[in-house]
Parts: sequence; structure tokens; C-alpha cells
Amino acid sequence: MPLFEWEDVKIMVDEDGFMENPEEWNERVALALASTEDVTELTEDHWKIINYLRDYFKQYGIAPMIRKLCKETGFSLKTIYELFPSGPAKGACKVAGLAKPTGCV
Amino acid sequence: MSAKKIDIKVTDISKGQGVLVPIEPVDDVKLPPPYDKLEELPGFRKLGQQSLDKYDGYIDGVIAVGVPKPQSEEEEQKLVESFLSGLMKLFSNENNWTFLQPLVLSMEHCAKCQTCNHDCPVYEASGEVEIYRPTYRAEVLRRLYFKYVKPGSPLIKKFQHGDIELNWTLISRLVELSYRCTLCRRCAQSCPIGVDNGLITHELRKLFSQEMGIAPKELHEKGTVQQLEVGSSTGMNSLVVKDNVEFIDEDMSEKVGFKVETKWDVEGADVLLIHNAGEILAWPENPGAFAILCELAGIKWTLSSEAVGYDGVNYGLFYDDVQLARIVVRHAEIAKKLGVKKIVMGECGHESKVLGIIGERIIGGDVHTENALTFMENIINSGKLNLNPERNYFPVTLHDPCNLVRIMGVVEPQRRILRKIAPKFREMEPHGVRNYCCGGGSGFAVMSGNNFTDWRMHFSGKMKFKQILDAFADEDLTSNSPKYVCAPCSNCKGQIRDILDFYGAKEKSGIYYGGLVELIINAVDDIKEPFIDFDMM
Repeated sequence: MPLFEWEDVKIMVDEDGFMENPEEWNERVALALASTEDVTELTEDHWKIINYLRDYFKQYGIAPMIRKLCKETGFSLKTIYELFPSGPAKGACKVAGLAKPTGCV
Repeated sequence: MSAKKIDIKVTDISKGQGVLVPIEPVDDVKLPPPYDKLEELPGFRKLGQQSLDKYDGYIDGVIAVGVPKPQSEEEEQKLVESFLSGLMKLFSNENNWTFLQPLVLSMEHCAKCQTCNHDCPVYEASGEVEIYRPTYRAEVLRRLYFKYVKPGSPLIKKFQHGDIELNWTLISRLVELSYRCTLCRRCAQSCPIGVDNGLITHELRKLFSQEMGIAPKELHEKGTVQQLEVGSSTGMNSLVVKDNVEFIDEDMSEKVGFKVETKWDVEGADVLLIHNAGEILAWPENPGAFAILCELAGIKWTLSSEAVGYDGVNYGLFYDDVQLARIVVRHAEIAKKLGVKKIVMGECGHESKVLGIIGERIIGGDVHTENALTFMENIINSGKLNLNPERNYFPVTLHDPCNLVRIMGVVEPQRRILRKIAPKFREMEPHGVRNYCCGGGSGFAVMSGNNFTDWRMHFSGKMKFKQILDAFADEDLTSNSPKYVCAPCSNCKGQIRDILDFYGAKEKSGIYYGGLVELIINAVDDIKEPFIDFDMM
């Protein structure tokens, strides 16, 4: 697995850039991962999505349905794409330190 | 020098180190405007140094599987021995009785006429790169077969069939090369004598997985292994799937104005519906539309909440017969235990093939299987739905999933449905059993590590994108007024989504994609608001 370095952050990521050890996630790591996703600043809206994803992941062990994410955070899919250009699964989940989604999704 | 011009022989696969043919996107498959300028399309990522240090199997500068480098000469030797032992098993009746006959026929009777070459969308889109020729990897295996498996004088065999050097370089490159074919079997269809290069690729993958433990992690570790352990390749356990479906039910009820309620584990139901579980997470309108359809048609149906019973996928089909059998057996047990009359597979090509062709024989008894397309057509023919085609008054084209159409021969039901409900339906060319694969077949749609996604877009998926654009040629491709690609298969939908994203086709040309059942529900006149909401897609 490749080593990813950004400022003082050093983490192991998989071939898609998702964290290998999600337990190492913290807010600095989120900033580091955001830099790979064309996100320069994490605003309050970004954090609302990240926090929802992390809470859901802690409870259920996987990422939530995209529709659920929209409904629970109140953001439209379009807004989520504006915040995370590569979208909820590849962008937002990556920054939130979730594992890469699996199966036919 | 372009990859096309590099003169590669079959024997070169065991020679040298590093990349054999560095590939580059080319425009041999020409796209219409505004996609006609190759330099304006997203590029092709080169592998980073970290990947180069970590893996073996460089053949074209792409990594799909990621073959770990052996740590010592001893380990390398062991891997070569295990390959040889797997090769022997592939050609023995007790280990491979299911596929032995077509495999041997394909080994011994290829006339090397190369009729199949131009039927391969990868070979065409690459600009005829030699290693992507459908007969190239087949010829590597053929020479190994004559050299190591088939009895006879080594000298005569070498003279008749050509020699090849077996080493780790060959094996590791052959692993990657067996994941540059989508198993669409268009080449097999065009072969005048029935040689099946798709089967040969499949058998190679089996050898690597079953004998050497080498398989893409998306298909094995995160795929079949996770499905058998947790219940689904998506990672959803029984509680999560129920929670998600409840959410979909609420969403659907709100949308259609009457109560939609999924029933779980109903014993003796007429229909056990098994979706590809990816639909529930990524395309909830699809299982939602099925629930509405069954409600409206008054069908006694159920989902299963038992592990594996709510996920129809079976990636074993793509790479490992043992994993395939484990999952089919679980599906069969669940259907029998519930005592349902039949299993209906959701809109998923490989699930339909596994359960409809292989599963039907294993399940036996009174439980039958039916694919989603004939199931839906029967409901429409029953006259229970009040359909108004004008509600689908936008351009629609149809993608033919290889497993359902070419392999199973389900060609007309989906077309008869579309002719009834979509006034602006038009075919792709070619279509039906002559269709082109979406480019995500054989599990590729879920594989994305390193630079493999770029390969899927520029090589395996390019022909499909061209077909989609050509089907809408009479529409304005610079206007974003909605156009719908109907793809009744989860795997194909994943690939088509990635293609449309990659080329920016939603923004530039208004090209959307989805399943067939959504179009049916969108045509139901008793539902007030349109079911398909392009703003949400």
C-alpha cells in the first residue's frame, strides 16, 4: 500500500487513495485527504457531511446510502458534488476516512 | 512509437522485464463532437513509482490485479510450480469436468484465421495492440498446453505448435492480461468453428485464483469472501439492509402517494426477489420501482433477510468456480427453506446467468428461476398496469447486457416493453446478441485501483460510449435536454455511470442512465408526479 504524505501527515492509503487504517483518522488527516480531492478548505458544510458519514460508519460499519446522506444532511446531490467534486462515495467518504465502498455500487 | 507499431510475438511474454507494450489512448474508435478531440479528453494516468516497486506483471503499464512481487527466488520457483500444477488440473476431468471439453476444443481447433479480432472492442479501441488481440492470450495458453499437458514427442510438438518459455515473468503478465478481457464473448460468437477465447480467459483466471490464490481484491476479498461472511459484497449485514429498504419504502410511498411496503421472509411466497444489493445502496429507485410494480400487479412477493439471500451478486462467475458454487448453494438453500415458488433475479446480468442457467440445475425440485425482463413483460401483458407512454416522452436507447442477451438469449422482452412505453426508443447499432459490452463486464465495473479506471474508459468502454452517442445522433448532443440510456444490469450501470462522468456527457449532452423498471413505473398513469426525476440523477 502506498504511503501518502501531506505537510506533517503520514498515512497509508490503498490504490484508490482511501485510508488503510481508518482508526488513524483525525481532522488533520481529513485536510490532507481533501487536498487530493480538489478541496482546498473544509467549510462547515463539508464537516456536516463528514461528521454524518463518520457517525453512520461507526454505527453500521459501512457507508450510508447516498439518498440517506442527502436526506439526513439536507444537502442535494448537486450540492454534495459541489462540495466534493468526485462525489459522495469517492470524494466525501474518502475525506471522512471511510474504507472504499465495495460491491456493485 | 505507438503501441500499435510495436512488433510483439507470443514468446515475448516471457522475455525481458517491465512493461512489454506501453499503451496510450488513441482515436481509432472515433467519437462524434463534442468528444472528437482526443487531446481534450481526460488523460491516462501513468503508474507511480510506489506501484512499480510493489507489483509484478507489467505488460501494458496498467495494474488491475496487482500481483505481489515474490520475495525470493525460492518463492518465485514455488509460484511457477503451483502454476504448472494448476495447469494440469485445468485439463483433468476430475478437477474441471464442467469446462474441460470446450476448453480442449478451443485449444486444439483454433485455425488462427483471426476472424474474431475485430469483434473485440478492446482490440479495436486500442488501435489493434497485439497483446489485446483475442487470440494472443489464448495462444500463450495453447503453447503451454501442448508443451506441458498434451502427451507426445517434445520435438514434434514444438515444431507443430511453437515453443514458449514458462517463467514468472510470463505468469505474472498473464495474470494481468487475463483481466484485460471483459468475457463478453463477442469473439466466441464470431468464430466459425466455435473456439471460445472468453472461456480461455475465464479458465486462466480460475487457475490463478483456485490454485495460486491470486485474484483482484474487489472480486475476492471484498467480493465473494465478504458476501459469504457478512451477507453481501457491499458489506451490508441483515440489519443494515432492512434499515435501508425501510428507508426506500418510505421514500417511495411519499413519491407515489400510496403505501409501499417490502415484505421480508414470507414463507411460501410466489416470488423471492433477489436484487443485486448494490442497487439498494447506489440506485434505490430500482428496488423501489420493483416494490411498486409487485404491489400494483398484486404479486405475493418477498425479500430474504438471511445472509447472502438479499444479495444476488456472485462474482465467483468471473474468476473462481469454488466461490461461485458456495454462493449458488446459499441462494438455493434460502429459496428452498422459504418454500417460494420461484426466484426472480433483479436487473443484474451475471446474477441472471448464474441463477438462471447454473442455479436452476442446482436448486432443482419445485423452485424455478426467472430473470427480471420476462417477469416484467408478463406483468405488462397481464394488463394490470395503467400505462401511458407519453410520460416517457424523451429519447431512450437500450444497452444489451452481455450475460442476459448474448449468453442467455433474452433479446426481445425488453424491446417489446420499450416499444410499448417509450415512444422515442431507438436502438444502438449493433444491438441484440451483436451488442458491444459496456466495458465493465466480468467484474471490471467494480475494479478501480491504480490506473485501471482510466483503462476501462479509454479502452474497454470506449466502443460503448460511441454507440450511446451514435444512438442519440439525431438529437442535439450539445444540449442538456434529457436522454436516457436504459441498462437493465447493475454492473453495466456502474460502468456507464463512470463513462458518462469521465466524458462529462451528462453536463455536455444531457445523457442519463438507469434501469428498465424505473421507465415502466414512470409510465404508470395513476402516479401523479413523474417517477424519474432527472434533477436527482
